[in-house]
Amino acid sequence: MDPLGWSLHRVFYVWLTLWVTGQGLATDLISEATGTVADAQTLAFFESKIRPLLEKKCIECHGRHKQEGGLRLDSQPGWRQGGNRGPALVPGKPAESLLIKAVQYVDIDIQMPPEDRLGADDVALLETWIQQGAFDPRTDVAPASNLAATEWAKAFQKRLAWWSLQPLRKFHPPDVKITEGTLEPVDRFICRSLNDVRLEPASPAEPEILLRRLAFVLTGLPPTPHQRIAFLENWKTNPTTAYETLVDRFLASPFFGERFARHWMDAVRYTDTYGYEWDNPAKGSWEYRDYLIRAFNQDIGFDQLLREQLAGDLLPSPRIDREREINESLIGPAFYHLGEHRHGSSLMFNGIHQDMVNNKIEAFSEAFLATTVACARCHDHKLEAVSQRDYYSLAAVFMTPRWTSRVVDLPGKHDIAIIKLQKLRAQIQREMASRWLSVVSEAGAFLPKILSRANSVKELSEVTIDDVLYPLTLLTKGNTDIEKRWIDFAAEWRQARAKRIEANSEFQILADFRKPIFPDGWVWEGDGIKHGYVVDGTPLIALEGDLIVARLLPSGFHTNALSSKLPGSLRSPPQGSIARKIASVQLAGGEFGGHLVVDGNAFQNETIGFLNSPEPTWISFADTPLKNGVTQVTIELTTASLNPNFPPRTGLAKGLAHTDLGYDKRSWLSITGIVAHEKAETPQRTLQHLTTLFEGVLPRTEDEAVQRVRGWLMATVRRWCLGKSEEGDLLVLQWILANDLLPNVADAGTPLATLLAEYRAVEQGIAHAHTVNSMDERGSAKVRYPLNVRGNVDVLGEWVSPDFLSMFAGRNNVSESRGSGRLELAESLLQPSHPLTSRVYSNRIWQWIFGTGIVASPDDFGHLGAIPSHPELLDYLAQELIHGGWSTKRLVRRLVLSQTFRQSGLVSPLAREIDPGNRLLHHYSTRRLEAEAIRDSLLSVSGTLNPALFGHPIDPPRVAEDSKKRLFAGPVDGHGRRSLYLKMSIMEPPKFLAGFNLPDLKLPTGRRDMTNDPTQALMMLNDPFVKAMSQHWAEQLIHQPDSSSGGRIATMFIRAFGREPDRSESARWSIALTELTPEGCQNVMTDALAWERLAHVFFNSPEFIYYH
Amino acid sequence: MSINPLSNGNCNGRIANADSRRGFLQQASAGFGWLALNGLFAQRAAAASIPQHAPCAKNIIFCFMDGGPSHVDTFDPKPMLKQHEGKPIGKIGEVDAKRSQRSSDDRVWFGSPWAFHQRGESGLWISDLFPRIATVADRLCVVRSMVGELPLHGQQNLLLHTGRILGQAPSLGAWVSYGLGTENRNLPGYLVLNNDWVPNGGLENFGSSFLPASHQATMMRAKGEPVDNIKPGDTPAVQRRQLALAAEQGRSFAAHSSDALAIEGAIANYETAFLMQSTVPEVADIDGETEQTRRLYGLDSTDEHQRFYATQALRARRLVEAGVRFVEITCPSFDSNNSPWDQHGHLKRNHEKNAQITDQSVAALIIDLEQRGLLDETIVFWAGEMGRTPHTSKISETSGRDHHVGCYSLFMAGGGFKPGVTYGETDEFGISVISNPLDIHDIHATILHQLGLDHTQLTYRHAGRDFRLTDVHGRVIREILA
Repeated sequence: MDPLGWSLHRVFYVWLTLWVTGQGLATDLISEATGTVADAQTLAFFESKIRPLLEKKCIECHGRHKQEGGLRLDSQPGWRQGGNRGPALVPGKPAESLLIKAVQYVDIDIQMPPEDRLGADDVALLETWIQQGAFDPRTDVAPASNLAATEWAKAFQKRLAWWSLQPLRKFHPPDVKITEGTLEPVDRFICRSLNDVRLEPASPAEPEILLRRLAFVLTGLPPTPHQRIAFLENWKTNPTTAYETLVDRFLASPFFGERFARHWMDAVRYTDTYGYEWDNPAKGSWEYRDYLIRAFNQDIGFDQLLREQLAGDLLPSPRIDREREINESLIGPAFYHLGEHRHGSSLMFNGIHQDMVNNKIEAFSEAFLATTVACARCHDHKLEAVSQRDYYSLAAVFMTPRWTSRVVDLPGKHDIAIIKLQKLRAQIQREMASRWLSVVSEAGAFLPKILSRANSVKELSEVTIDDVLYPLTLLTKGNTDIEKRWIDFAAEWRQARAKRIEANSEFQILADFRKPIFPDGWVWEGDGIKHGYVVDGTPLIALEGDLIVARLLPSGFHTNALSSKLPGSLRSPPQGSIARKIASVQLAGGEFGGHLVVDGNAFQNETIGFLNSPEPTWISFADTPLKNGVTQVTIELTTASLNPNFPPRTGLAKGLAHTDLGYDKRSWLSITGIVAHEKAETPQRTLQHLTTLFEGVLPRTEDEAVQRVRGWLMATVRRWCLGKSEEGDLLVLQWILANDLLPNVADAGTPLATLLAEYRAVEQGIAHAHTVNSMDERGSAKVRYPLNVRGNVDVLGEWVSPDFLSMFAGRNNVSESRGSGRLELAESLLQPSHPLTSRVYSNRIWQWIFGTGIVASPDDFGHLGAIPSHPELLDYLAQELIHGGWSTKRLVRRLVLSQTFRQSGLVSPLAREIDPGNRLLHHYSTRRLEAEAIRDSLLSVSGTLNPALFGHPIDPPRVAEDSKKRLFAGPVDGHGRRSLYLKMSIMEPPKFLAGFNLPDLKLPTGRRDMTNDPTQALMMLNDPFVKAMSQHWAEQLIHQPDSSSGGRIATMFIRAFGREPDRSESARWSIALTELTPEGCQNVMTDALAWERLAHVFFNSPEFIYYH
Repeated sequence: MSINPLSNGNCNGRIANADSRRGFLQQASAGFGWLALNGLFAQRAAAASIPQHAPCAKNIIFCFMDGGPSHVDTFDPKPMLKQHEGKPIGKIGEVDAKRSQRSSDDRVWFGSPWAFHQRGESGLWISDLFPRIATVADRLCVVRSMVGELPLHGQQNLLLHTGRILGQAPSLGAWVSYGLGTENRNLPGYLVLNNDWVPNGGLENFGSSFLPASHQATMMRAKGEPVDNIKPGDTPAVQRRQLALAAEQGRSFAAHSSDALAIEGAIANYETAFLMQSTVPEVADIDGETEQTRRLYGLDSTDEHQRFYATQALRARRLVEAGVRFVEITCPSFDSNNSPWDQHGHLKRNHEKNAQITDQSVAALIIDLEQRGLLDETIVFWAGEMGRTPHTSKISETSGRDHHVGCYSLFMAGGGFKPGVTYGETDEFGISVISNPLDIHDIHATILHQLGLDHTQLTYRHAGRDFRLTDVHGRVIREILA
């Protein structure tokens, strides 16, 4: 309560009372609680106008039962105390009262009542009321009724009773009487449901139908003529084994992994870019896509896949692919990075991380739990047992780790090469040392070059005391009184040195790189750092050109110390935990090695700087004030390969071509000092290198002085050669080397040349690192994430710690975790008793096989989702999945071997009437191919398919390019690669696929739309890709030695439809061929255009894109 | 066992062609917002739609001013800026800091390089930047009190189009197409007249998101083949023969299929597609327009970009006449700028360039529609995604303005909007709204209302709830309706 406002308020009332009394109009009234006095008229005004108005328009949301925004308007103390935005009104001052602003709708953020805006009359009433002091006799506060909480608890309990949250029940496959054949357990459930409504399953499908169905379902490609022949042959002998063999063959095909990976990519909204203004490449997204393909092909259990996608960086024993030498598990968390990343950072704009976290929560909860947790961002869920607090506790889980790039190569992958390089480097160093030692032993060495270099200095002002050359220039300019000059010079040096040492004492040295260690809390990554530490004077071997030694390195970490292919990054602890206000790091770098200032765990960060100098420079990072819900700011120093935001948006990395997507880049970074301090200055050189110059007797003549300088330089070299370098020597050595005083070229045939060549060859052989945007929790403290009141990012409520949904309370250890709790979260989802995980995934598999899930809404098992058509079967499958070690292939195999799957697509009139949607599976539904399968079929049938697996995404064809957004046009046939390799760019997804219902790339989509519209017909008719495929197919056909057009048409049928034409079809197509053959054609069998036209009709026949 | 009525009949979420929609919806109606039914039932025949209430307008042409035209240089005169030009913005500007991209430090007021005058009988204020639009001032309903959310292009573009700064939701045009259908079966319901320009926020700005894909925009480009795949790949006779064969083959396949409706739908689509090959170029072809009309739109301009825009504006009118419900025209990008109206520098030179490209055609569109008696039933909606700061870092020839969402202006003409009025008020420097603030949801709600659609009823179920264009926001601004 504002005491001043209150006293004014009283004064006003006293005045009012006097005035009123003076008029003799009314009896004074005293409001008990406040002691305010009002007259009957004031009371009447309140009671007749204000109270009803408040009751009618405000109290519902701002009363006992609900306190939106923490505000109550059902009592005077209520509005005095106010809500999240402070007191609701200022008596006497309508203009300053929030209430008035709200009802006037002047502020876009607060407009009340939200639906039913007050009329001008009502607003005027409120203004008058406040103007006159806001008399309010409602002093009793109805006990801060906890009704809202109680009601939530009640609703929550009720919602927990929802079917999908009940434990899995055990059901035995029912007994069903059948006349022939054997039934899989699955069939028993299906048959029983059919029998219940007196329906029968359809007859078994013909082998060709079955083959085509199975091929599309398991591989997304049509069967090849060869597969068809083999299968039909086997079928003749034994249909059962023929079919089983076929199933196993398809399950073992690498196309299986591609097909099922793409299914899962829908569920997690796979993208290759990050969208918004610049559509930045999503680093390593494609590695995640390939990881999925491998995982489905290798039949990695879904339990492991879940664990890896949620917490692959935290697994005590990650899954290793020995052949590829990668840590597969570490790729899993790329799952989080998918979806849109916002331009701008959280500190620049509020809402950035909040909106992105929302997208992550949506994807996580829909993909794994089929629960719409994201709905609880602004309020407790309207339908599910998910509170708003639940949402924010999950946000805290996801915001605790740093979302950054990781090296997924196995540690030690390059060890052999690295050890070789280290040895070679040492050998080269020894060779150089002996060579240089002999140079400095020569009489008169250095002298002419020193003098000529010194004489080349035109102006003394060009040179400072920091330059190695400085002592010489002093001596050669003017030729008098050398002794005095030397003394002055020494004094100047001593003074400068003392001053600098004094200034440097302000700095707290966080890392003394005389030893290879980083300060506490700094986290590093990559072989570049791991093998990057060197002591002063270690040579950096030149990787090309004539020189042997590119530079001599100062002590510290150099990611390029052995090879600039090795990645490296170093991350600071949160700025607040570093002593002092400013942290400065001495950095050198090139080829887009750089630094990032990361606010919170910002997903996309534009506070990025690149280094472009081998010369170490101090770069300062001052503490950033936290705001906008950001809880920490860290500094990340990184090579391009480990920079999670590389390449950044076009224009931010100067010199980087727009076409350069950052694949396989060399890049490097050196860290040679870390200090903390308060003032803005950075450490200075202490001029240590001159110390030995001033030792010994004073030079009296110029010659003596020059000799002294020469001796100083030579002694430095000698010390290096003997491995006894001292502090400060490096600067001098660097100068000597740069000024060509020492031989640094390997003459052909010398041992040095051999060593150098060997070094370079070994370095060449090192592969570029595999890096993927993943997670890193090392050094991360648990984050508390602010609840946003009503989802408003500017109104913070309680700070919430990591935890899992309260509906699973007591069944997980997320909150007990010392870190984010992601691993605990994953493990809790994999408890065999978890009601959702196994149901949700087995339902997805069912849908991938049958077209519609047992629950038709695969991403929503909640109140707005569909009810399971066969709940007992669902539970049965869920348990089978678990018992089968969460194997996808095992469950898929069971489903496709069922009689239910093997039914024909024929539907009886009765079945059509009783169950027109085929929810009971009385036949196999007709299905349209997904966009990818349509395009892949075109490639396959036309003979254009390139079956290569994996790799960088391929740009789709585009009419126009936009290089600033990196929207480039690719080949019309995408090099014949399957559609899942086309670049999934949020900005402009591949058009052909989008036309056939590729999902919105930002939304998790468990089940695709299957629309049917004329633009699809236009694409199939006129798209250059379809045309090209028709041409390609025709080109092949006319070179085949078919004896007749009828025979050729039959082979086309087999390729396109997986079957031979019947007699009427043969006739129909033969007639058409004649009519489509250009006039004057001599031999139709070699007429490309005729066959192209016919091929085109195959592609445009519904049978091409539908199967049943 | 019970069968869930929601999923009953919903085979793969497929909505077949218009013929089978009815049957489909009879089975699956509960899965859709009720209103959409009306739209979906609105079949091929003209004006068969059953809007929620009597509509004032049938069509909308949205002139999207991509990049954020400056409000204080167009429709919201601020003489104070000239008076204080070059002076630090101080405290007043601080309120801007929260939403503006820049802090208020080192910022100075920047007066408009263009003079403002009251125009027409209404006395509506329009600057000299738009001499042609100024001539139709009496038709405009200008809103000066728009408030955005984040001063970033991607976010604001998506907000303007989809009602969400995150996108992930259907575009206004997709909602209109979903709600009203198309009057012409040979034309799409939502067309974007573009020139292969992908605006910030991506093609999602024109997307259907979770609505069926048939509601996403079809793009028509200004030069070259107007619509992708519209040019027949072979002669009509050959195509006819090919389609006859495919149809015949398709029908025999349908006879063996459990979903004959979908197959027949696909066959019917080929018929439509075949006709679209001639209809779309016909509608797009402006050669037959009179010389007078062509000049009115500026097709005689020597500037290529202006001709592009004029072409598209004239096509917009033709499309509306032909029964397309929602037409959007984007601005051509005349340089390599990130978005056309985004003048952080060179405000004077490049705003003038953008105005030169668009001004005449927008005015012509209003005049032409009116002359043809179409303005009453067509909303011309002119808007960028945000405004621009009334201040700059330094006054010079090359001064520009930065992103501003505290307030900005847009206008509607025709379609039952009150003509010759301005609504809402900003402070004397053009920083904030001081009366009647509106956000884009209010505009969306009002536009839908004029089209006969209640924004609270036009819903689609997705991801566990019924989504609508305006989310939980928006109100119909009756004060700006005639």
